[in-house]
Amino acid sequence: MLPACVGLVPFGLVCGVGAAAAGATIWGALGMSAIIFSGAAQIIAAQLLAVGAPIAVIVLTCFVAGLRFLMYSAAIAPYLRPLPPRWQQALAFLLTDQAFAAAIRRFDAGADPRAGGLHFLGAGFALWFFWQITNIVGYFTGNLVPASWSMEFAVPLCFVALIAPHFRNAPTIGAGVMAGVAVVVLDGLPMRLNLIAAGIVGIVTGTVLELAKDRWTRR
Amino acid sequence: MDATLKIWLVILVVGALNYFSRLSFIAFFARRTVPPLLARALRYVPVAMLTALIVPMLLPGPPLEVPFAPSPKMLAALVAGIVAWFTHSTLKTLVAGMAALWLLQALAARIG
Repeated sequence: MLPACVGLVPFGLVCGVGAAAAGATIWGALGMSAIIFSGAAQIIAAQLLAVGAPIAVIVLTCFVAGLRFLMYSAAIAPYLRPLPPRWQQALAFLLTDQAFAAAIRRFDAGADPRAGGLHFLGAGFALWFFWQITNIVGYFTGNLVPASWSMEFAVPLCFVALIAPHFRNAPTIGAGVMAGVAVVVLDGLPMRLNLIAAGIVGIVTGTVLELAKDRWTRR
Repeated sequence: MDATLKIWLVILVVGALNYFSRLSFIAFFARRTVPPLLARALRYVPVAMLTALIVPMLLPGPPLEVPFAPSPKMLAALVAGIVAWFTHSTLKTLVAGMAALWLLQALAARIG
């Protein structure tokens, strides 16, 4: 639990700084961290708000980035099935990359549903609470750091830390490379639509490469 | 539109959509399994979306000029990526990336 929290500190700070840069009040910043409760979506929303993108584009881009929650939801659903619906609804809200990893480990270790669910609830709430604090601190301290320190570089670094370990097979590398090329090539699109277009190019590339790899190895 | 109103609309709609994605297979499609093709595609969402988000942050601009000389940020991100690949640690990745950037910026300033 503790290592997960330590890793969240810079990410949360950066989200708070981003909300401030997007012109949010402290309540807006807190609304982003408490209700959206997803670092990637918060960064995307803050960036697009700052460049004046329309609401529809912001919502669509955040939605595609949040599709990974479908994957987590499906993976954790069988473990939560014995729990009452209210528990399921509460736990779903706390489903994040980190809480998912912690909960899956506990359930796989053979915990009974209630104990596993309780662990998930505790870990999820602790992460949620900790996330609010890091965001608020980021919101208020962001402009105290001199610009020459290039602290904004912590944003891409947080994402690099998330994805670089996955670059271990051809479809994933292909998905990343094609998304990176597409976002540059499509830079001329208005309202930063290149972001979501490049995301879709990457997702399709990875899926097609994986299907091709399967077909190749089956022969 | 009023800026505060716009931010709150984004918060509520994105928050609701995120919650529905999180709740999807736990509640709405509880009796179903994920279609295999969708399961495959979803696995590439983080890598594709986050790479698309990272790359523009490393380039000088806007406007983008192609071809571009490798910037200190690109090289520092590469160093960070290698550290992340081997260590799986956010903290070590951040320390390595920031240190590399400061070093490269100092070098670039000296060379002029």
